[in-house]
Amino acid sequence: MTRILLKSRLDDCLASWQSAGFSVLAPVQRHEMSTFGEVQKASDISLDLVLTERTIKDHFFPQTEPLIRYKIGRQQIDSVTMTPPERKRVFFGVRPCDASGLAIDDPLFGWDYKDDYWFRRRENSVIITIACTQADDFCMCTSVKLSPDSTKGADVMLRPLANGSGWQVETISERGKALLDTVSSLIQEESSETAPPPEVAEKFDVGKVMEWLADKKNFESQFWKDIALRCVGCGSCTFLCPTCHCFDIQDEGDTYQGIRRKNWDSCSFALFTMHTSGHNPRNTQSTRWRQRIMHKFNYYQGKFGVNSCSGCGRCTRQCPVDMGITETLQAITNLPR
Amino acid sequence: MGIQEQYRNEAASLLSSGEVKLVIGFGAGSTADRRRPLFACTAAEAEQFVLDSACIANLSAYLVTEGLLTDGKKVAVYLKPDGLRSINILIAEAQLKPEQVVILGYAIENGEVKPLTGRSIGDFTDLGDRIRATTPPPAVVQEAERIDAMSSDERFAFWKEQFSKCIKCYACRQVCPMCYCRRCIVDVNQPQWISTSSHTLGNFEWNLVRAFHLAGRCAACGACDRACPVNIPLRLINYRMGKEVRDAFDYCAGENSGQKPVLASYSQDDSETFIL
Amino acid sequence: MIYSPFPMRVVSKRAEAPGVNTLKLEFVKQEDHEFFKANFKTGMFGLYGIFGEGESTFCVASPETRKDYIECTFRQSGRVTSTLANTDTGDIVTFRGPYGNRFPIEEFEGRNLLFIAGGIALPPTRSVIWSCLDQREKYRDVTIVYGARTVADLVYKHELDEWKKRDDVRLVLTVDPGGETPDWQDHVGFVPTVLEQAAPSPENTIAVLCGPPIMIKFTLAALQKLGFTPENVYTTLENRMKCGVGKCGRCNVGSVYICKEGPVFTAAEVQAMPQADL
Repeated sequence: MTRILLKSRLDDCLASWQSAGFSVLAPVQRHEMSTFGEVQKASDISLDLVLTERTIKDHFFPQTEPLIRYKIGRQQIDSVTMTPPERKRVFFGVRPCDASGLAIDDPLFGWDYKDDYWFRRRENSVIITIACTQADDFCMCTSVKLSPDSTKGADVMLRPLANGSGWQVETISERGKALLDTVSSLIQEESSETAPPPEVAEKFDVGKVMEWLADKKNFESQFWKDIALRCVGCGSCTFLCPTCHCFDIQDEGDTYQGIRRKNWDSCSFALFTMHTSGHNPRNTQSTRWRQRIMHKFNYYQGKFGVNSCSGCGRCTRQCPVDMGITETLQAITNLPR
Repeated sequence: MGIQEQYRNEAASLLSSGEVKLVIGFGAGSTADRRRPLFACTAAEAEQFVLDSACIANLSAYLVTEGLLTDGKKVAVYLKPDGLRSINILIAEAQLKPEQVVILGYAIENGEVKPLTGRSIGDFTDLGDRIRATTPPPAVVQEAERIDAMSSDERFAFWKEQFSKCIKCYACRQVCPMCYCRRCIVDVNQPQWISTSSHTLGNFEWNLVRAFHLAGRCAACGACDRACPVNIPLRLINYRMGKEVRDAFDYCAGENSGQKPVLASYSQDDSETFIL
Repeated sequence: MIYSPFPMRVVSKRAEAPGVNTLKLEFVKQEDHEFFKANFKTGMFGLYGIFGEGESTFCVASPETRKDYIECTFRQSGRVTSTLANTDTGDIVTFRGPYGNRFPIEEFEGRNLLFIAGGIALPPTRSVIWSCLDQREKYRDVTIVYGARTVADLVYKHELDEWKKRDDVRLVLTVDPGGETPDWQDHVGFVPTVLEQAAPSPENTIAVLCGPPIMIKFTLAALQKLGFTPENVYTTLENRMKCGVGKCGRCNVGSVYICKEGPVFTAAEVQAMPQADL
């Protein structure tokens, strides 16, 4: 017997979670931008977007994160480790691509050294994914072997009902079960047809791409120079990507005190790998673009068994010069072999 | 023959004659309404160039790519009047040699693309008049006036809200022809003048510094505004700074390549009593 | 918590060469010292820092046989190294580590050791040298070939004298042509050339080679001429680092993260990396 949650009960759901101490974050429009923000009631939520322009990554790996507060004295220093907020949060209305982005990054943040800035937030958050019923020209989840109704990364899966009155509810994890138990009176045992997921045609052959990237002789192919000509080297694709995780550590303050921070950084930036000596292993945009593609579809795969891409298409959607992963991987798929 | 075809042939001919080593233009984008920068080194590659009213990007930004023009060869580039302004400013600031740039000029008027006559930047003698006669988009003017009418506190709150979205991706900088510094001030760490963090202070620092560094130099092409992935209305800032410079100094950047940079030049008979 | 460094006290500072200093650091906290003693092996590196300036990556130049302090040797080149160079005895700096992999010195036991270093690359080699010399009976012949641009640029000059005096170490010192002083007694010539002339045998020998990329390239060629195989030559790589723990995404050469899977590699492993990413 399946379960459903009606839209008309969503306000009660949110109120229930809020009184249980959770903040609820959902897709909202804030200052001409769609993102995940805290909501008080159901009407605050933008449920009709294909996906938000910003990702939920922002809430697990913020653009700037204070690590250590320090006071400086030559013969003495005081420092206090700053820890991430331990607020409990429900993320309602996450798209499968964003949810899978979190799952894709977990092995990296846990690779031997556990990054508690990530994990404490993960442990205090419940992800409620809503399956997609629409896609746009930039979506490419199916190309990376995910799908508009993938449960990867979800604690609870909601599938929109065909009649638009609510969602079919599926518990995916223990954490999801615990959350649903708090609103069990609001969920009905009922069968209802779910809306079909959209057709998202595959845009490239990821198997062929990975094979080509794994072939060492292609590392110095002219292909890299040709495909990256128009890349301007900004961080848009990196910063709006659900899986990109590169960062910088910077001290900010004055002569007496300050805060050491972890800030987003991008392998597209010219100075990302610059040595103090002046040597830069990746001193052209084409080598930096190659790094991006190799990292996502070869190195990450080799270390963690999964590609560092959830197929959301934001890289191309937001790129000021219409680049992004799709075009490069299509071009590799179509290279003569 | 339409302008698209005409310029394709021109580009192909420039390449096959060897007059230029590269043509920078537009190609079809990943969706029907998008156009993307396209680079052609051979006549065959030039077949891909498109030119229609969706070709609005300012391609002059690619001309200041490190190492592109050091071999002394020529590059041809598709440019609208804002691109021509950019070329003038870059020449005035000694970043380009006029003889290295061959221009395929066009203007978009009422949704139609018209050719502009001229091959090198010096040919566009009416550019100054054209710039002064161009009215900014009414929506921009209205929004700027609305902000001007705010109190200081309201204005600060408005911009604090807008800049709170900034993620320091520097797309605005990377697409701007005038942001050509080999090491941007934000990348200097001795000392770290501008914070790289996206907190309120860091976001204000970056956006205000860029606004000031562009004052009197901006070609009003809108590339930064279009590039910003978080929809910060940069057009308003640059419009307003441009208006300030025009009102105070009767100066529009990029009218010709002989113009001295307005905020970087000193003359004995300056009306101010001090250098600031 | 990850990214939190250990406070360290500067015990001494020694000028090694123009712009190059060695700091000897002591642990402020006992538990940090215990952690270091339990984890440090020769070859590992750390991020040395100063709050307010940042962190910089260099090797731990002291050996795994002497873990009551940390020595680091670095050239003043940027913001952090300049501030570190200006510290005084008693100042507190920070250390994060030890990170990375190690020289498998137990595999070197019973074999001849050939250490080759150039200029500022002696520090990482020195950590291995002392780790072996402190257990001298475990290894056979020890040869050290070390060169710098000029006599002034040689680092650890007092230790070079010590090694020279030992009869269980063969020390071959050289400076580049033009770098010698009137009273210079040792060789003049680039390290690869001097190495070939010294002609150490590859028989049952492990080579440890550290230096700038150009020196490594030519020295490897010299070693191969002498009959060494790339599996028996160990070296270290470096790259710009920030986190030191494999998360910030910047230190990789191809798929290999220098901070996690390095900095110690065999020459064979380095040759298998995409050279265009070095």
